[in-house]
Formats: sequence, structure tokens, C-alpha cells
Amino acid sequence: MVSARVLQLLWLAFLSALLTRGENENHLVVAPQSPVLEMGTTFTATCMIINTAEITSDDLYWNLSKTIIPREQYTKVNRSALNVTISVSNENCEWLFCLCKEVSASIALNKGRFIHGILLKKGYRPVKPENLTCVALQEKIYISSIITCRWDSVGRQTKDVPTKYTLYLTVTLPGEHFNKTTTENRAQITFSMFPSFMELDIWVVAHNQLGAVESEHLKKESDCFVKTNPPADVRVISERSFPTSLLINWTRPIDKGLMGLTYQIRFSKNASQSWTYVPRGETSNDIQSFRIQNLQPDTVYVTQVRCKNAKESYCHWSDWTHGVTKRTPEDRPTGKPDLWAIISQGDAMNERRVQIVCKDPVFANGWIIGFDIKIQGQKGKVMNGSLKWERIPVNRSEEDYHPTQRKFDVLKDIQLPDRKSVKVEVIAVNSVGASATASLVVPEKGHERSPVEALRIWTQGGQLWLEWKPPNKSALSEYVVEWVSDNQVDWQRENRSTRLTAIKGNLKRFVCYSVSVYPIYSGWPGKAAKMEAYLEQEAPLKGPDVRLNGKPGRTHAELVWTEISARERRGFITNYTIFYSSDTKHTVVVPANTTSYTLTSLSGNTKYDICIGASTIAGLTIGSTHSFTTLKYEDGVIEFIVVGASLGFLFVVIMTLLLCVYKKDVIKRNFWPQIPNPGESTIGNWSPDYPLKAETPKENSLSGISVLNVDVCDAKCVFEEDKTSLSLKKDKYLSEEHSSGIGGSSCMSSPRQSVSDSDEGGDIADTTASTIQYSSVVASSGYKGQTPSTQPQQAVFSRSESTQPLLDCEENPDMQEVSRQSQHFPTQSCFTHATGNKDGNIRLEAEQQNEPLNFCLLDKRLPTEEQSPDWLPVTPASSYMPQLGGYRPQ
Amino acid sequence: MTNVWFLSFKKVFQQCDYDKSAQFACDTEWRMNGHVKSMYFQQFMQLATTLLTVLLLMAVNSTRTVAASRNQQCGNSLQQTLKLSRLTQKESVDLIKTYKASQGEMSELICKVSVNNVPDPNISGLEPSERIASIYTHLQAFLPHFKRVYEQQTDLQLPTSPLLTELTRISARSRSLAAVVNSFYQIIFPNLPLPEPAGGATTLPPPQNIFQQKVYGCVVLKTYKEFLSNVSRELRTIKSKVCRRRIPINTSFF
Repeated sequence: MVSARVLQLLWLAFLSALLTRGENENHLVVAPQSPVLEMGTTFTATCMIINTAEITSDDLYWNLSKTIIPREQYTKVNRSALNVTISVSNENCEWLFCLCKEVSASIALNKGRFIHGILLKKGYRPVKPENLTCVALQEKIYISSIITCRWDSVGRQTKDVPTKYTLYLTVTLPGEHFNKTTTENRAQITFSMFPSFMELDIWVVAHNQLGAVESEHLKKESDCFVKTNPPADVRVISERSFPTSLLINWTRPIDKGLMGLTYQIRFSKNASQSWTYVPRGETSNDIQSFRIQNLQPDTVYVTQVRCKNAKESYCHWSDWTHGVTKRTPEDRPTGKPDLWAIISQGDAMNERRVQIVCKDPVFANGWIIGFDIKIQGQKGKVMNGSLKWERIPVNRSEEDYHPTQRKFDVLKDIQLPDRKSVKVEVIAVNSVGASATASLVVPEKGHERSPVEALRIWTQGGQLWLEWKPPNKSALSEYVVEWVSDNQVDWQRENRSTRLTAIKGNLKRFVCYSVSVYPIYSGWPGKAAKMEAYLEQEAPLKGPDVRLNGKPGRTHAELVWTEISARERRGFITNYTIFYSSDTKHTVVVPANTTSYTLTSLSGNTKYDICIGASTIAGLTIGSTHSFTTLKYEDGVIEFIVVGASLGFLFVVIMTLLLCVYKKDVIKRNFWPQIPNPGESTIGNWSPDYPLKAETPKENSLSGISVLNVDVCDAKCVFEEDKTSLSLKKDKYLSEEHSSGIGGSSCMSSPRQSVSDSDEGGDIADTTASTIQYSSVVASSGYKGQTPSTQPQQAVFSRSESTQPLLDCEENPDMQEVSRQSQHFPTQSCFTHATGNKDGNIRLEAEQQNEPLNFCLLDKRLPTEEQSPDWLPVTPASSYMPQLGGYRPQ
Repeated sequence: MTNVWFLSFKKVFQQCDYDKSAQFACDTEWRMNGHVKSMYFQQFMQLATTLLTVLLLMAVNSTRTVAASRNQQCGNSLQQTLKLSRLTQKESVDLIKTYKASQGEMSELICKVSVNNVPDPNISGLEPSERIASIYTHLQAFLPHFKRVYEQQTDLQLPTSPLLTELTRISARSRSLAAVVNSFYQIIFPNLPLPEPAGGATTLPPPQNIFQQKVYGCVVLKTYKEFLSNVSRELRTIKSKVCRRRIPINTSFF
């Protein structure tokens, strides 16, 4: 440290001497010049005043990167020298200036003479390189004359003070020295010839302006730096007589004179990534063949070899050879086939369907070409019909032949009564030989031995794990773990000490598996312990479809939904959530075992949207939405009203009927007033020409109303009546015989003119409405017309003294007589139609021409319509004298 | 070994302590009886004998260790020399094949002609030291010939000819072998300086025509191959003579 200071002062003196000589001498000098500073240290610089007494060190100040350094960091050496101490923390190079205050005008004018600066370069000390390794590769049959070394550069460096590396190599005995400098962490040294069997000393020195450091020396025989080519021409030979071994041959990559070699061999089953290494002790040096033993027959193996210098253990290994694939020869199956029985419900009652299934032995050692099976019933009875073994051939494809995915074959499918047991024995056969015999007993139903206890299943690490407690039976030999899903069955066997295992099959996610654990008691399966499990769960694929059960009520509705199918469930349903909304949204959570729910407290006459979500532990899926509207009225209200109204109506009807029944006479009197029987009338017959009382035949004593059956002119009656009415209008007192009876509604009830007592009536209707006509009613025996020529007019005109209308029989008692007589003169009976109707005449004439006229034979003497006015008065046969002057009171 | 020594020292010092503690009683007894003095002397002598024995054993062991180390060094060096001589011999065989292949027609014929001024392939000397020195001398003697052959073949061959490469290789290998032999000699005969080649510098043939050059080159290589064969044989012989069997270092002497 002292010497450094001395050197620094000497350097300052030297600089001062140099600067003193110049014309434009600088009055400030800084030392040291162009220093390289180590990061994290402190640096002291000195500024000296030369060739002037104008300033002192008190006028000086320091500036670092345009920043004035605080005076606390200054140290005044003397009147003309000032030190500054700074800490080196910034990696970038900086200018350190020594300046002078402008204490006078000359200083201000010559500022350039009162400034001096130095450039501070900063860096890190080099750190010892680590992990030096060198390698010389094989080149054809020789070793390359180039040796390449690599090392790890440790520590930091800056761009101003870079670290360089020099690789040194010494061939010890001849004393040859090589070196190569680089800034990277690798270097190559080229020999004239690779110095085989010579000792090399190799090291690397890291150096920069702050120092140098040397790595550890690699002092080894040169051959240890050689990395040869991998062994060549590797061949693997499979020999049929040695099914468990493979013979490997290879050729050494480099001449033995150059290097003795040791080898390493590894092999793996095909498609397996785990290698098995042959122990180094098994392989002698400089061998060129090796037999790998204890292999699996009929298995593809990939084999690789590599080599290195045999002398030293730390020399470079060559690369591995390319893998050579070879299959070991076949051998007879080792172990037993994996025999199992899948039992399901049989076709008939009290029967089971038993499928005898079998997997190849774990070590099939070749292609299984078939299975020999023997099924024995109770007491040794052979069930498959033969005492010999039955061969069941199997066809395998390359895809089936996959040891990690052992498929099974269904050997037999039998129907077994529940109360029977069978023993099944199976042998697997390949092209070399047969396996040991596997046996299984299918016990009677209900006679299985006790199951395992406390079965527990969970998922961990992408596998389904099972744990159980063994049954309290000493005869337990093993366990069978069976899993079923979508009618796909698989199983695996576990030894008797197993309490915890994982299912080794290729399970699918989101699929429900029914897992069973069967304890096996010396070939007798015990009762299974079952559980359902998912490898992984997610939300169901679809939600439940909801519908209403029946019609919604006013305040309630019963919802029904179906369970989601097992395939779409994708997990255990934890609960259902019912969403229903009208104006507001509501949710109801119901247990997973529920498939119906009644919503209550609904609003009447309101539309609701409902949907149901099914939840698993992994999520919720909502099903389709269903809408319904609640009723305005509750059920039965309308029915109640209708029934009530009906009952009321019925009551009224019944009461009316009863009233009618009990008050029949009153009603009758009110509606049908009693008309005195004219027959019983005390009024005498009045006739101007005849005695008042004519002889009334007994037939005329007919009381009541007789209806004339008119066959001919029903369709014309109304017309005729109109005509008559018209004629009556013309001659109001000459009423046609078409007058009605009571109320004038009778159609041609009488062929005679009726006499209205209304003198003033405008029409017939008015007449009938205002008055009660005296009607002449023809008795049912028919009006037979009046035939004056044949029968003297004996018509009796009887007139009741009463103002009541006369009944026909009452009015025309003579007509009855006439009627009786007219039976002998039928030609007179059509008088009715003879009046005033030309059409009727025409028709009648036509009828007369076409057929004999029985009933309405028209007399030639009948006047035409024009004649009728003249005819009427002169009708000799009329017993009813026309009252031209109207009704004359009697 | 170290443990054995430690136990021996401990035993001696314990005995001394024991004697010191009994010294007062002994002195009292000595005053009373003249036999006591004689007994003390006897005990002292016994202690001295033990110490001398230990020192002797240490010296012997150190010598043996050095010898064993040197023997090991000898074996390693010899082994290295032997390997390198075999490799050089093999390379010389390959070189002759390459040489013949590159000389065109009559290559077999040119190798059957004898040439003067080529080093003798035989190893001279009676003692191992002399024979090893002879090997070294011969190797040195062949180097100028290799150089001459290389120069001649450079004119006759294309620059890319493998012959030139192999000539370079054999020359470098010869130097390495010479260095290894020298080292081996230094190990087994550390006090004997390796003699310089007799007769001064190697005599090289005068300028030759091309045929002569071809013949010369082949004779040099062939002689060198023969010499190397003799070297390998000689080294195998020397192995049993000069390098004694290794002695295990940790062998107990007690």
C-alpha cells in the first residue's frame, strides 16, 4: 500500500515535470491516470496544483459524472494537493474531474488550464473457472488431433473490463505446451497428432485488468479425454433353445492398440422407457459379445451398448448405439391363466347365467392358441358332457397381444341352478406347451362365504384406490377386484395380504363403475362387497326434463322429473335444484333421491317457468324449461257452482210440476175455461123455417171436436184461406166457409161460411182476435156437402143463445145428418173446393179425367167463380142461410 | 501402521510415568539396598531399547514406502512405454501399407532393396540400462530419417495424401516414445545419465533419384517397424527385471 502511494507520487512528479515544459501548461494534474477500479472498493485520486500560486487546494473541487462530490470526501494533502475518495459502485465508466473555483478573472478566462480529468473503468476480479472438461473425439480409426475444453465461467464482468480465458495444455513428458485465449467458455487446442498414452495437464486461467485466477488442473492420461464412437455393427441374436436370453455381438470402434475399452449394456422391453443396465462387473474389458439372461420369453427387447476407456472410471463414455430390437423365443406359459366367472340373472327362475371368462397368464411366453377347460358339477359330475378336457381355440390379433391391456375370453356361458355349484378348471396353451391349471368354484347361491369389510374407494393421482378390511377367515387365499361399467367387466387379483390397492385397468373418466371385492377362499369366491365410484366427476351432460304431474292448481303444482341416465350423469347426483320464476325467481333444493316435488304458495292465474338442475360435486346442469299457468279458480269451485245451479233449477222444475199436479184444476180453469156443453144447453133450437128443435140423430150427439181429414188440398189450404180472406174482405159479411174455428186458425175446418159478429172488422184476423166467432165445425164423419137436388134440405140451423162460439156439432147438427147421407152421394162431398178457385177446378177436372172421382166428384152444375155470387143465394141445398146482413142478433 | 507406532509410544510413556511415580519409593529403597540401583538401570535400558526399536521400524517403513512408490512409478511408466511402443508399431505397419499403396507399381520390389545409412533395428547392450538407452538412441536416430522421407514424399505425393499425414504422425509418435523411454529410464536408473548417440549426428543419405527415394523411404519405415517390434519384445522382458513387485503400503509390521 505504501509502495503504491509512493508510485503514485512519483507518477505525479513525472507528470508535473512533463507538463511544466509545455507552453500551454495545465495547472491541475490528477493521479493516477486511467485507473481500472474493482467494483465494491474505494478509490482515492489526488489533484495537484502545478506552476501557479494563484490558487490553493482550498479552491479545488471534484466532479464525478457532472456531479460535484461533497467536500466530506475530500482530503487536503497540502496547500497544492487535494485527495478525493469515492466508492466504486456503478459499473459504467465515469469521468472524474478536478476543477478550480473561479476565484479570479484570470482563472475564469483560462478555465481550460484549471481542469483535469481521468476516466474511471470499473470491473470485477476474475473468479476461478469451474467444471473444466476436455474431450477429443474419435476421427475415423484415429483420435482427432483437436481437443476441445469447456468450463463454467463464474462471476461477473463488465464491458470495460472483460474477463479473458486462457486454456493451457501441457503434454508432460515431452514437455510440449499449448495455450489458447478466448473470451468464451470453450477453447480448442490442435496437436500435430493426438498424444496417446501421454499425460496431459490442462487448466484454464481467467484474467482481466484486475487480476488472474487459475482453475483446477486436469491431469490425466490423454486417452481419458477421448470420446470414442459407439460400438459398431451391433447384432442381437435370438436362439430358440434359450428363450430367456439374447446374445449381443458388436465390433469395437477403435483399435485396441489405441485404447482398451470397457462396455456398458442396457436393454428394455419394447415400448418401455425404463432401461435395465447390465452390472459393470458382468462385462469384462475388451469384450465384443455378451449374453443377456433372465429375460422374458416371447418379448421384444431393445438393446444398446456404449464404451469408454477401460483404464479410468472417469473417462468419457461414448454415445449409445442405436437400439437393436429383437424378440426372445417363445416358451411354455408360466403361471396360471386368470380364471373368473361373471354371474348374472339366468333365463329361468332359480337359475344363474355364469360366464366362464379367462385372461392369458401374466407370462404367456408366446401366443395363446387356446384354452383347455373342464367343468365339474357337484360330486365330480362333468358338466360339459365329457370327461376329457375341452379345447376352446382363441384367435388373437397383434392388437390383442398387449401385455398391459389383458383382454379376456369367454370360454363358456352356462345356466346354473341356484342350488348347484360347479368347479371350473382351465389350462392356457401356446405353441410351445401348456400352462399350469387354474381352478375356480362357482358356489351355490346364498352359500358364499363372508365378504370383506369396510370397503372404501377414492380417487388419487388419476387412479381409483380401494381399501378394505379382511374377513375373519384364515382360509383366505387372495382377492379379486372386479369393476363393471356399461356391461364391460374387468378384474384384477390381489394377494391375501393386500389391504390397499389401485385399479390397474384403463378406467374412463366420468363413468360410473361398480367395484366389487371378492375374497377368494382356496378357489371359492366369497360374497362380494360392492360400491360405486367414479374416477373423476363432472357436471351432468344434461339436466332432468321436468313436467307437471296433472294440472296445476291455483296455488300449487306438482313437478315430476326423470332421473338422468347413467351415461349422462357423469357423477353422483348430490341434489336437485328447482328453479321457478314468475315475477321473482325462487330455488328449491331437494335431495338426490327425489323425483317429484310439489310447489306451493304459488299465485293464481300466473305463468311460471320451471327448470331443474342436477348437481354433482363437480357442477350443476340445468334441464329444459317448462312453463305452466296456475288456475284462476281452485279446482271444484266451478263444479260446485254448476251443481248448485242445476240443483236449484231441478228444484224449481219439480216444484212447478208439483204445483201443476196439485193445482191442475186451477190451471186448467185458468188456461182452458170450461165451455158449457151445448148439448146440455137449455137454449132451444132456433130456425126460421124449421122447428127449433130438430131431430137430432144420435150420431149428432157427438161432443167434442172432430177433425176433418182433408186428403186433397193440404198444400193449398193456406192459399185457399187467403183467397177466402180476400173474398171476405170484399164482402165482409159474406164470409167464406174457410173460416176458422176458435181464433180462426182452423184450416178449412168448415166448408161453410162463418159469420163474424164483428161488423167493423177490417180483416179476418182482426175479427178473430176481437171476437169469438160462431163457428161451424164439421163433424169427424166429414162434411159431405149439400146436395139440394138429392136430398131435401133438412139442415138444422141451431143457434145457441149464448154468446159463446158454437161447436161444430152444436152449430151444424144437421150437417152430421148430411154427412151421414152423403155417404151415398159422394159426388157432393167436394163442395169445399168448388168455390172460388180456378186452379182447384182445373186440378179437379184433371183428376176427373184421369181417375174416377170417388171423393170429390165435381158436379157439372157447380157454378164457376164468376157465378158464385149468384150461386150462393140460390143454393137450394144449403141448410145454412147466408146472413147477408151479417149476424143478426137473435 | 501409524496406529502401531502410536501404541508403542504410549506404552513406553506409560511405563515412564509409572517409574516416576515409584521413584521416591525406589530412592528410599536404594539407600537401604544396593540392588535397587541395579534394578533402575535395568529399567532404563529396557526403555531405550524400545525407543530404538520404534525408530528403526520407522526408518525401514519409510524406505519401503519410497521403494514401493518408485516401483509403482516404474510399473506405470513401463506400462505406458509398452503401450506406446505397441501403438507406434501398429501405426508403422499401417504406414508401410499406405506407403506401398502410394508408390505405384513395383512397390513390393522397392521394399526388398537394402539401403545403407539406415539405423540398425536391433537393440544393443547387455544390461537393461544399456538396452533401454539403446532404444532411446535408436528412436532419436530415426527422427532425421523420417524428416528426410517426409520431405522426399512431399515432392512425390499430393499435399492431401494420407501418407504425408501418417508420416507426420509416425514422426511425432516416435518423439513421444523417445520421451517416454527417457522418462522410464530416469525412473529406474535415476543416477545414470542417458548416453548421447554414439558417433554424433545421424548420417543421412546423399541426394537420390525418385526410385532411390522410394526405396529409401520404404527401407526406413520397414526398419523402423522391425525396430519397434524389438522394442516391444524388449520392454516385456525388462518388465520382470527392472520393476519389482509392488509392496502393499498398509501392511502391518507387527
